[in-house]
Amino acid sequence: MDIFQHLMQGFSAIFTPYNLWMAVVGCFFGTIVGILPGLGPSATIAMLLPFTFGMNATPAMIMLCALYYGAKFGGSTTSILINVPGENASVVTTFDGYQMALQGRAGSALGISAIGSFVGGILGTFGLIFVAVPLAEFSLKFGPAEYFSLIVMGLLTIVFVGGKSIPKSLISGVFGLALGTIGSDVVQGAPRFVYGVAELMDGISFVVVVMGVFGIGEVLVSAEEHMKMDSIKVPFSKLWPSLSDLFQSRWAMLRGTIIGFIIGVLPGAGSTIASFISYGVEKSTSKHPERFGKGAIEGVAGPETANNASCSGEMVPLLGLGIPGSGSTAVMLGALMIYGLRPGPMLFKTNPDFVWTLIASLFVGNVILLIMNLPLVPLFAYTLRLSYSFLYPAIILVCMTGVYSVNSNVFDVWAMLIFGILGYFMKKYDIPGAPMIIGLVLGPLLEHSLYKALALAHGDVTVFIIRPISAILLGIAAAMTIVVLFKTARAMRKQVSDDQN
Amino acid sequence: MRKGDRVTGFIALGFSLWLLIESSRFDYLTTYTPGPGFLPFWLGICLGLLSLYLIFDTFKRKADKEENETRLPGKKALFRVGLILLFIAGFAFSLKTFGLPLTTFIFVTLVLFLLEKFGILKSLFYGVVFSASLFLVFRYWLEVDLPKGLLGL
Repeated sequence: MDIFQHLMQGFSAIFTPYNLWMAVVGCFFGTIVGILPGLGPSATIAMLLPFTFGMNATPAMIMLCALYYGAKFGGSTTSILINVPGENASVVTTFDGYQMALQGRAGSALGISAIGSFVGGILGTFGLIFVAVPLAEFSLKFGPAEYFSLIVMGLLTIVFVGGKSIPKSLISGVFGLALGTIGSDVVQGAPRFVYGVAELMDGISFVVVVMGVFGIGEVLVSAEEHMKMDSIKVPFSKLWPSLSDLFQSRWAMLRGTIIGFIIGVLPGAGSTIASFISYGVEKSTSKHPERFGKGAIEGVAGPETANNASCSGEMVPLLGLGIPGSGSTAVMLGALMIYGLRPGPMLFKTNPDFVWTLIASLFVGNVILLIMNLPLVPLFAYTLRLSYSFLYPAIILVCMTGVYSVNSNVFDVWAMLIFGILGYFMKKYDIPGAPMIIGLVLGPLLEHSLYKALALAHGDVTVFIIRPISAILLGIAAAMTIVVLFKTARAMRKQVSDDQN
Repeated sequence: MRKGDRVTGFIALGFSLWLLIESSRFDYLTTYTPGPGFLPFWLGICLGLLSLYLIFDTFKRKADKEENETRLPGKKALFRVGLILLFIAGFAFSLKTFGLPLTTFIFVTLVLFLLEKFGILKSLFYGVVFSASLFLVFRYWLEVDLPKGLLGL
């Protein structure tokens, strides 16, 4: 069966009332939570994950993907209306989006942002199909040795590219890997770091860690102060960008899609970098770069398109290789495992119905978001007027009840509280949480691949070097490490000499 | 950030030592494969090296411009965060005994009344609204087996 037939089957599966409803619910809540400053897509997915536990894998993942895209759509609304980005990737949108709002063009900015996100999402999903399928077919050749090398490379890329400080990102990643060793080990089934606590035998649930670090941690940071948000009001009638706005933005959207998708495919680069690069490209290719920062519509269209196209790009390593490229896709990877699915190339072989319905849902989700966002933006913006006094107790309650519902166990609630405190301090001291989550999710897979590869090779460690694909992957990882070490040493020398001067 | 990084470095160093000590209690290798102690041992080494680098770096560089800006919240904000944590702990502690609806009601009422300075009637009203909504969603929509507690719900 070819790609087109698979996709059509996916569309026929998504167009059932229940699956469509899940997509609508995901888009709606994703947009609302995405609008709230402070809660990014990872936190949104983590917080609403327990709502999917009673579902089958397909509707559950449809809802989670819709949440992801919805949070990305919603993130730009606050950037434009109150100059506060709903998530990191929407920081760039404040540059020109808020300026447009001040000039009375908030509707155009919101409209072009929604249309750009739609274009990026749809074209990006086509990109996903044409890259993930061959990648998955190629990676069917992978054995445990290749998987081990791939996970090593993926982990390094994520921590190297992800945070502001490489050592702190690495510490976060290693800490996540260490958390993944808690529980029965893959070799002898021996309990590790359990200390007689029965609840730790199966390891620390990633849901507990994700909801603690991203949910409770974020809430604690936001709840420090009384948050007040004064939003610019947008009338319904002014939400459609004019034809000249659309004409002016067409190339920005196309360039944004290409940039966003390519950056999204690279593990760790993510949508924030994509949106910044897109903004830089738009400014440098513009005949009037002086308009940027003063309300240039291309400065909204390009980055917003890149932001959503990168979401589709991030799904490529997740679906094709089973490696998450960002915090959000790490949460989705963990969710897939909870539903009993093993992401990676075999997923296309063993669960084609699931994969293609999911891909079809990305198209449908983007259409729903466009329909929902254009006329309903004023309604979504109204949530900004909701007092944070109501929001944070609600978020805490959803996290606590949600985490309890995973195993009907109060131990998980206590553990989440501890991870919430950890997440709070990590945020305070600029230690990124995503590498920790990725380490936690990939750690057991890394250990399992290592064990399996060496068992098959009768303990011969050269198996990782004599197999060509594994050797190439490890070579890339080694080259990256050398480059990063070199850069770090140079930056350190420069800083010390600056200090001495 | 220098002081913060130093504290982070020392905590990570302590954790790496703990990993190294604990990993020695397990087999490092089996006949052909790494044993249960292999990964924790190497993670301990990596974490130790990274934390030493972070600590060393904080001694080498001068305090940056933002150094004077404390990362920890002021007294008032710290009090808010502390109270929220206390309420969450109280929630976890009383969930089994009181059940979800009653625990939620107490949690929301206390947060709104003590932290958000709402009037008592308004706090009680929202306590009931939050409690009923959460109960209905988790019990009837998501069909989660919730602790029954005092009210037997």
